[in-house]
Amino acid sequence: MSKILIAEDEVLMLKALEFKLKKDGYQVDVASDGRQAMDKVKSETYDLILTDIMMPFVGGMEILSYIKNDPLKKSTPVLLISAVGLENVVLEGFSLGADDFIYKPFNLNELSVRIKRYIKQNVF
Amino acid sequence: MNFFETIFKYIGDTYTDRLSYFPTNIRVSLLIILFCIVAMVELYIYILFKRASKNREEKQIKYWKEHIDNMLANVVIYDESDDTDEIIAHFYPKIKKMPLRNPIVNNILTTEILTYHKNFTGKVPEVLAVLFHKLDLDKKSRKKINNKNWETKIEGIREANEMEITDMAEEIVKYTDDENGLLRMEAQAAYIKLSPSNPFHFLDRAQERILDWHQVVLFEIITKNKKLAIPSFSKWLRSPNDTVVMLCLKLIDHFMQFDAAEEVQRLLKHHNPKIVKKSINIIGKLELEDAEKHMFGVYFDHPDEIKLEILNSIGKISSGNYAEFLSSRIYSADTKIKMEAMYAIKNDPDDGENKLKEIFKQTTAENRTLIKHVLDNRIKP
Repeated sequence: MSKILIAEDEVLMLKALEFKLKKDGYQVDVASDGRQAMDKVKSETYDLILTDIMMPFVGGMEILSYIKNDPLKKSTPVLLISAVGLENVVLEGFSLGADDFIYKPFNLNELSVRIKRYIKQNVF
Repeated sequence: MNFFETIFKYIGDTYTDRLSYFPTNIRVSLLIILFCIVAMVELYIYILFKRASKNREEKQIKYWKEHIDNMLANVVIYDESDDTDEIIAHFYPKIKKMPLRNPIVNNILTTEILTYHKNFTGKVPEVLAVLFHKLDLDKKSRKKINNKNWETKIEGIREANEMEITDMAEEIVKYTDDENGLLRMEAQAAYIKLSPSNPFHFLDRAQERILDWHQVVLFEIITKNKKLAIPSFSKWLRSPNDTVVMLCLKLIDHFMQFDAAEEVQRLLKHHNPKIVKKSINIIGKLELEDAEKHMFGVYFDHPDEIKLEILNSIGKISSGNYAEFLSSRIYSADTKIKMEAMYAIKNDPDDGENKLKEIFKQTTAENRTLIKHVLDNRIKP
């Protein structure tokens, strides 16, 4: 079973994402702030990480940067969730190695399909 | 003799029975002490009750939040292929069973529906909008809009705005010119989204100022809303409210509304210099050649800041009709005006760069340095 980490500070969104991905058959781990997420990323191995950009303590970009600079973890797909589609933010994300950007508001089913695709790509 | 009788007897022997023999100052002091003790006890009891009720409320909030979180998360992840009515039929009875009259439950449910509505696309917002209506939460929003407290009004307007309850537009329009700036702003932003037929009607009646930062917010809302039918903003350029004129000028500029040319030219004689400056800027951007003579006509009546804008616009229009005027401006005492005039000459399609080179041969040393600067294409104006 593929293991996914969701890092999102908005509890309500975190719950919806957690429910959806569990329903899709993934093993889901959650973090409600950046620090928690970073701790989990350092101690565990995930098949995919879904993280919000703006979070307390540690932002999504820092988590992304950490993963992509770690030789053992850099192949983990990272999907960034953002409420702002600012060009420079998107560029920064992609230049740091983000695999995809999800803009709020988004369609949960579309997200589900994207996640499936990235996990498949990573397995083969 | 029991415990209480012993205490009362002690108080009686020590104070009450002997009270009349005490001097006045002691009696007064004892009364004050007694008052303080009673007040303190009352205060403790009050704090105790408050804490207990707050604890109870917190427990209630925690319980209902958990319950509603789970319920709505299940609504959100329900299979998209299902019919909306089917999803509603599944969840509505369960939500309806909750004590919706309890303000805690009502507030949590409203906030969470709004959050999900804002963050998801697809069937989710559609289902949530139906639920919001069926659970009569829209009626609560209407009540909030008509509440006396302005903060509650704003809350109601935000709810109506997020849930796109268009029939509340008529109730919201009256606040679009409210003296409370925050309420006014919220109402204007919501009205644009909610009024299906005349979303800019509030501009007709706006007497209060639309603050600069609020103009930025409205500009964003208007320019990013793809469903909005954009009118010709020139019809508000005669508004007595300068801030309405300013907002409309920014929108005319953004939407490149050439039909506003005549009205924009008229604003060159407006009493507000900010409006004059913006009008000149638009004339330049829209390259309205007909307006050149009007700008030339008012050039000497204005301060340097506006003169610079006029030179800049003449440069953008670059018709070549005012080449002599521009050449004379390079002998102005102000360096910025000299530079702007040089850039305008450079833009002349009739070989502007060569004209500048010609001037270079005959002009002052200072002007020669400036012309070198202007002719250097690596330096952007």
